[in-house]
Amino acid sequence: MKKHLLSMTVNGDVVDVAVEPNTTLLEVLRDDMALLGVKEGCSEGVCGACTVLMNGNPIRSCLTPALEADGTEILTIEGLASDGKLHPVQEAFVKSGAIQCGFCTPGMILSTKALLDRTPSPSDEEIKNALAGNFCRCTGYTKILDAVRAASNGGSAKVDVHRKE
Amino acid sequence: MRLPQFDYHAPETLDEALKLKGELGSAAPILAGGTDLVVNLKHRLSSPAAIISLRNIKEMRGIEVKPDALVIRAGTSLVETVGNAAVREHFPILVKAVESLGAMGIQHYRGTIGGNLCLTPRCLLYNQSHFWRTGKGSCHRTGGRECLALEGSESCQAICSGDTVPVFVALSAQLTLAGPGGKRMVPISDFYTGKGESPFTIAPDEILTDIRVPIPWGPLSWSYRRIGIRAAVDFPLINAACTAIPDKGVIGSFRLVLGAAGPSPVIMREAETAFKGKEPDPTMVTMAGEMAKRAVEGIIVENASASKDYRVKMAAVAARRAVQEALALS
Repeated sequence: MKKHLLSMTVNGDVVDVAVEPNTTLLEVLRDDMALLGVKEGCSEGVCGACTVLMNGNPIRSCLTPALEADGTEILTIEGLASDGKLHPVQEAFVKSGAIQCGFCTPGMILSTKALLDRTPSPSDEEIKNALAGNFCRCTGYTKILDAVRAASNGGSAKVDVHRKE
Repeated sequence: MRLPQFDYHAPETLDEALKLKGELGSAAPILAGGTDLVVNLKHRLSSPAAIISLRNIKEMRGIEVKPDALVIRAGTSLVETVGNAAVREHFPILVKAVESLGAMGIQHYRGTIGGNLCLTPRCLLYNQSHFWRTGKGSCHRTGGRECLALEGSESCQAICSGDTVPVFVALSAQLTLAGPGGKRMVPISDFYTGKGESPFTIAPDEILTDIRVPIPWGPLSWSYRRIGIRAAVDFPLINAACTAIPDKGVIGSFRLVLGAAGPSPVIMREAETAFKGKEPDPTMVTMAGEMAKRAVEGIIVENASASKDYRVKMAAVAARRAVQEALALS
């Protein structure tokens, strides 16, 4: 099938890639750009492991034909840390122990970032709503909620991230 | 999972899109948000020659407030719809339905209102991977002549699962379909054929462009109830939308619609006739439940992730709760 030119900004860099129409955004990011933090889980839009931010909004890269991303700004987990320093959301996930196998973590962190950019001090209900489409099969979600609370404005005071259970 | 091969068109205007649709017809489905279409393509439920993306067509997005109605362009995203001040003011029932639909990261930013209305009817025996389906015979939608869910059925019994469908039916919305010969309007209740293999009264060269929702003539009381397993990723097992407008102490206008029962939404005419012109009465709650049960018993078949019996029972529950809330009964 004829290739089309796709031009988008990925983690701040403008990239031009020639892609076939049946390529998903997930495949371009992983296969052409080696951004392996974008995970392929269920591949049908359920699990949330492939979440990236498109113009600041969380979307499923596995459900997005790559050409639909033309002209947009994409942020993957690789674009979060700067100058060797983790993003505060990443820091909160590490400190809260919100990671076990780590497969869902990039999607969780990006969904959290999108939430906190819009709602800096979310309620528990808002956190659960924002992360409802991101599945974690290890942690039982408690530590992830702790991490999001810790990353939110004034949240760190409320959560003892070193508590023992 | 890889997508099948197809060509891609992203026209800049509706006219260009209609020209393409005229040439390619059903071989080129419309890609709005893609949250339904892309999954179906990955499962090889269809392998179109091309897809026509709406992403560049500005006239397909936005909400227009008219004196007597709200016109929602079909390509308007779910998140834009619920964020719109006029929608929030006039149709909080729509806001509730969209908010209870799926998850933020899956549908809300990419999914569209038109896409939700045109959601491909779903069946537990159809919406599966190609490999899974090879273990079963073919059905009305896969080139066969039978329905795997209901023996002897002459048409596909897949479920019309859009969360907003019963809401728009309860609000008496009208849909604008644009085609080569111009635009035509159909009441939403006529849009669904009741046949899963050809679920919509839309021609292969037509595109759904607008949803016109008339502003109610009086203070609208409403309820939307959805029963499902895991809200973020599951389609409703049953949902109910109820709207009522009081008029001089009695129920002036009443609508109760069940969704996700069969291939088309179920309008509860029996309840409408029984309740209109009467004072709201607590017995109406029980009556609505019984009517709903009777209405869906012959419609619901064994083709969802819960049993037929459970879904019939839940149809009564959803109807009772919706009527109770909409009529403010205890």
